[in-house]
Amino acid sequence: MTKKQTILIVEDDDWLAEQYGRVLNEAGYAVEFAPHALAAMDAVDTVRPDVILLDLLLAGPNAFTLLHELQSHTDLASIPVIMCTNSADHIADEDISAYGVRQVLDKATVLPEDIVAAVKRALL
Amino acid sequence: MKGSEGQTNNQVGGLLSSDLPFLVTAAHELKSPLALVRQLALGLESAEVDTATRERILRQIVLTSERALRLTTDLSRSSRLENSMFDLEPINPQQLCEDVAHELTPLYAARGRKIQVASHRGSMLVVANYDLLRRIILNFGDNALHYSNGSEPVELRARVYEKGRRVRLGVRDYGPAVPVNAWRRLRQHLGTDAQVLHSRPQSSGLGLYVAGQFAQAMHGEIGATRHRDGATFYVDIDASTQLKLL
Repeated sequence: MTKKQTILIVEDDDWLAEQYGRVLNEAGYAVEFAPHALAAMDAVDTVRPDVILLDLLLAGPNAFTLLHELQSHTDLASIPVIMCTNSADHIADEDISAYGVRQVLDKATVLPEDIVAAVKRALL
Repeated sequence: MKGSEGQTNNQVGGLLSSDLPFLVTAAHELKSPLALVRQLALGLESAEVDTATRERILRQIVLTSERALRLTTDLSRSSRLENSMFDLEPINPQQLCEDVAHELTPLYAARGRKIQVASHRGSMLVVANYDLLRRIILNFGDNALHYSNGSEPVELRARVYEKGRRVRLGVRDYGPAVPVNAWRRLRQHLGTDAQVLHSRPQSSGLGLYVAGQFAQAMHGEIGATRHRDGATFYVDIDASTQLKLL
């Protein structure tokens, strides 16, 4: 039996995180949750996720703190990141292109199947 | 780390400036609960959802909608403050804290959090409008919701200070410390401008602005204290001298 690929969901709203998790579980992925950037750094160390689904605004240090941290480690810099945020229309490609962010999803318009599709694309 | 904390916060600050026009801030804040309700409703469409999960999601939709409605009602109330008459009367702040805790308990319980009122010996009264003061504390309570863990309850607390002339009603939460520069920005705009709270994204800067307006209408003011493990948001209000006359 092949090991399921793991998606780390970094989202401070646990109800929203649960929805993403359910959708990704149904699509055959294992999921781990982190409510803020500090917990996410710990989770990255312990579970080595295949993809990170990341909210922008988090309690305490924001998403860029995590992105900086990932980029500063050669073995972590290649983990693909999908950003899912209410501020998608404020994010310019040049702000995030250097951080391994593969796609930005808008929470207000994203469909469950869009999340699965984005993860699949990131894993190609 | 490649960059400093200041750099990363400037990046987010650039994406969502605290100087955004009021309407943009309001729209952003109302977008969050609407987006959540939408995602929850989409979740109900899944064939995989069992009955218990369905009921839980429905409850989440109701509670999220109620929280958003509190904000819109506050906004509407704040726009009518100057034209409306409201009574200032002696109010027991301890009882008001109990009432707010009771009102927020279903939301907290659904999120797996706790809210409680710190005990206080002795009597105290404030001169306030019950509805406005209740809305201020509800606002702080809504904001604190995401900044407590399961073991540390959010605590509502009323204390007399300035030799009995003022009463401070505070809401203490526990969570990741807000970075100093983000906190400075928050304090700078607290109660005077609507602002997006970058380091407390589940909190409502708009709600704090409205709370500030409500406090001013009662000759009070709001403030905040940063702790190593969270924050306290409070309102200072005049104590009633009525008890002293008895």
